[in-house]
Amino acid sequence: MAGAPGVYVGAANAIAALMLLLEFGMLRQALVRDQVRLYAVQSALISVLAIVIAADRNLPDLYALAGLSAALKVVAVPLVLRRLLPGSVAVREEPPGVAGSHTLSPASAVLAAIALAAFGFFSFGELHLGGPGAPALALAIAAAMMFVAFGLMIIRKDVASQAIGFFSLENAISLAALVVAAGLPLIFETAFLFDLLVAVVVFGMLMRAHHARAESLSTADLTRLRG
Amino acid sequence: MSVALPIPVIQLLQVLTVALGAPLVTGVIAKVEARLQGRRGPRVLQPYFDLAKLFRKESLAPEAASWFFLAAPLVAVAAYLTIPLLIPVLTAYPLPLGYMGDILGGGFLLSLASFVVAVAALETGSPYAQLGSSRAKTFSAITEPVVLFVVFTVALLTGTDLPYALAATVRSSAGQVIRPAHLLASAALFMVILHETGRIPVETHTGTNEFGMIEEARSFEHSGPYFALLKWGSMLKQMILFTILSDVFVLPWGLAATQRAGDVLLAIAALLGKAAAAGVVVAVIDNSFAKLRLFKITEYASAAFLLAVLGVFTLYLGGG
Repeated sequence: MAGAPGVYVGAANAIAALMLLLEFGMLRQALVRDQVRLYAVQSALISVLAIVIAADRNLPDLYALAGLSAALKVVAVPLVLRRLLPGSVAVREEPPGVAGSHTLSPASAVLAAIALAAFGFFSFGELHLGGPGAPALALAIAAAMMFVAFGLMIIRKDVASQAIGFFSLENAISLAALVVAAGLPLIFETAFLFDLLVAVVVFGMLMRAHHARAESLSTADLTRLRG
Repeated sequence: MSVALPIPVIQLLQVLTVALGAPLVTGVIAKVEARLQGRRGPRVLQPYFDLAKLFRKESLAPEAASWFFLAAPLVAVAAYLTIPLLIPVLTAYPLPLGYMGDILGGGFLLSLASFVVAVAALETGSPYAQLGSSRAKTFSAITEPVVLFVVFTVALLTGTDLPYALAATVRSSAGQVIRPAHLLASAALFMVILHETGRIPVETHTGTNEFGMIEEARSFEHSGPYFALLKWGSMLKQMILFTILSDVFVLPWGLAATQRAGDVLLAIAALLGKAAAAGVVVAVIDNSFAKLRLFKITEYASAAFLLAVLGVFTLYLGGG
């Protein structure tokens, strides 16, 4: 018999679970356009979570963080990402090499990722990190998200999806940071956000360079480059 | 209206509400669906007229079929009419026969009904009926793990697997509604219901196109009153699944807390309203998504399975 947690903790856990589901959505989504959209929704959810925690624990700093994170991850990163992708934005054309870059069928990918998520979930659960203020469940979900994001980067053969997997990995880490150390000074949190910007630029250049050389975003084409 | 109804009468009313309300809900869905597609659609009461017409017609059976062919529709409807005794239909308090079986018992009855209809379809020797029953059995095996994990979630949440207990748990506080385990299990169950009522992902529940036929194909060879029973049975199944979804998982409010006639009548109206609302949601979803190819059904099932498994996971660390 599991007693129900309070409404705030329940809401925090439900938002974390929703973020994990979006991670799975990115995993099985075939088009990079939809993956970017799911990433934006996931990032919006983390801002909502920051607001929930801010309201629950009376941390006004977090409101600022939520706003900043939303501006950056919901608006700026998806926008930059869509600009950086080769292929015309106007005709909504899919960049070459992205569609069909699954190495597993969607159903098997989901089953494999469930196993990964279970590993992350229960291994973090064993650490008993959850204090009175930190919901252990949200932390374990963040761990599961990290593993699923890794899985996403492994099973997709195109640079664009791998980049999105990496960015959502950052979302998972933000989630973990938010539930474990919500009271972290604002300057640190902002610094983490700027790290993401660097990653976006690096990945953008990588995508451009790869596309310029191989005329495709698929990493499968890289095997041709062997001597 | 403060007349207190005796318990057996309320118990009987549970069955009658489902039995007589099911065609109404089907009619509402058909009407909404027609409106969504820009048609005027049949009357809301049309399913009653259809059933009345079929009950008056003569019935024929294939020569090779045995007595089982004719008994199956009766067994199926009997099974469907037993389930409302086990689940909260009108009352928030458990009725005496409610402990006769748990969620698994209800699941067994649903499978029994589906099984006898499938066997009867096999008896006919008609390829379409056989195709329908073989598909129905294959795909129900794929969705079975989802249902099991939903039952596990319920068991972990309440310590029992009685539908009444879960409804009472959900009603008890807002924290129980918003906890991830409950939300995930409800969503997984909803996906299974979409599949079981022949909406998403492949089936066209009213069509005559054999590619999109699963359940509908099974009744090809039945006629007259037996066909009416099969049709009524699938309406009952839909109504029962909507009742489980709304009265046990999503909206267990509006049930009668007393034995007063007024309360029970209100609960009947509330149940029909909730089932019709669920039907409208289902019709909107059905009409806004494209059907998938038949073999893509595993992708749909894997998504539902994901929800149900995560529901169980979240409970393990406490605070799910």
